Amino acid sequence: MRPEDRFYLESHEWAKLDGDTISVGITDFAIEQLGELVYLDLPDAGDSLSKGETFGEVESVKAVSDLASPVEGEILEVNTALAENLAKLQEDPFENGWLLKIKVTGSDSVTDLLDAEAYERLVEAAS
Amino acid sequence: MSESSTLHRTPLHAAHLSASAKLVPFAGWEMPLDYGSILEESRAVRTYAGIFDVSHMARFWFRGPHAEQELDAALGARMTDLAVSKARYSLLLHDDAGILDDLIVYRTGEEEFFMVVNAANRERDYDSLSKRMKRTTLHDVTEDGGGILALQGPRSREILEALSGRSGFCPAFLDLATLELPKIGSIMIARTGYTGEQGFEIFFEANQAVSLWERLLELGAHPVGLGSRDVLRLEAGLPLYGHEIHEAVNPFEAGLRFGVRGWKTRNFVGSDSLRSLPEPTRQIIGFTAEKRVPREGYPVLCEGREVGVICSGIWSANLDCPIATALVEKNLEGPFTVSFRGKEMPVEVSPLPFVPHRSRD
Repeated sequence: MRPEDRFYLESHEWAKLDGDTISVGITDFAIEQLGELVYLDLPDAGDSLSKGETFGEVESVKAVSDLASPVEGEILEVNTALAENLAKLQEDPFENGWLLKIKVTGSDSVTDLLDAEAYERLVEAAS
Repeated sequence: MSESSTLHRTPLHAAHLSASAKLVPFAGWEMPLDYGSILEESRAVRTYAGIFDVSHMARFWFRGPHAEQELDAALGARMTDLAVSKARYSLLLHDDAGILDDLIVYRTGEEEFFMVVNAANRERDYDSLSKRMKRTTLHDVTEDGGGILALQGPRSREILEALSGRSGFCPAFLDLATLELPKIGSIMIARTGYTGEQGFEIFFEANQAVSLWERLLELGAHPVGLGSRDVLRLEAGLPLYGHEIHEAVNPFEAGLRFGVRGWKTRNFVGSDSLRSLPEPTRQIIGFTAEKRVPREGYPVLCEGREVGVICSGIWSANLDCPIATALVEKNLEGPFTVSFRGKEMPVEVSPLPFVPHRSRD
């Protein structure tokens, strides 16, 4: 089972709530599907995002994938070191491989997303 | 029923699983994408040697006294001067000179030819060829349980020598040889490949597959998946059907004149159309980029005008940068950019191949 302290998107991002901010990342399943990562494009802190908006891209040897925001919010912090150290994202996507911290500004709640159990079912069906 | 249960499996399926392969569906087959790292496998082939299971590729036999003449009329490449135990690259053209496939023909006897074609085109090729070959028997043996192993890389020669147990054994470029191996039996070996490296392709029967694979691993070859195969062929500037070549591209635009050698005077399917084609206005060129990979389908721009499209793009493990091929208008100076997702990125024109060929070394 993947971490139960957070929520998941069907597009394989995760969102972890901490007060009124969330951290956002991508799951090990997303990384396994992509294969070895070669490039990561992340936005700047201060940018605002709407729910579902593409905030960046992650690229592997064979494919490129959009990164979607789980909520409407403002970017507080970006894990900028990650772009130069993709191994960290590859190896530890749930902790050190976080991508963004977002201040939630909209009314939607991350708890409406998939919980770990529902995400597990999604992954099983996809693999 | 899940998708995977309908896929063909090569005789090395279990061997791939025990080598931790990531198996993916590919042209109706369940094939290894990688054994852990596309990048490391790609480097291993350029620095040492790798083995690829390419048993998904379709294998046809042609037999009969008219095989040479009928193949010569069916294929872009000349068959009448192909010597026994020699291989030749050819295009298979549509009447209108569009490319139906690219393939390798091996002449195994005066009246016998063997052909390897792309897995995805197997049925269409078989249909076209059987219509064109009226007096020759054509057998599709792709599903007979046998297959093809490609041994590629600068150390492939010494690995093959050790496998053969014969000092100095090394077929010359495009030569075909038969080898009798203790415990394994008779195999056919050709000096062909799809990586630009020194290398060989080994054709085996179902009951030889596993012992051959294990022996090659013992001799130091690294298992390499189709992910790396794509990296390596693009580094070597070699076309892949469905990308650089397809029905809407002709051999001249694709830079594959040698696949239709003799087209000015010979008669084969598509030759009349080739002779009436205007000068090509498009060509395949190579690009390198700094960070992002220009992917298939991305438009290519020059001075703000769309002048072509990316055919293939991948991260080059050996150059450590993105590489791509594009079909673009001829005689443009550049600079070129590639447009994707509302952004434009600069690309540099690079001569093809990106990595020099060493296949004749």
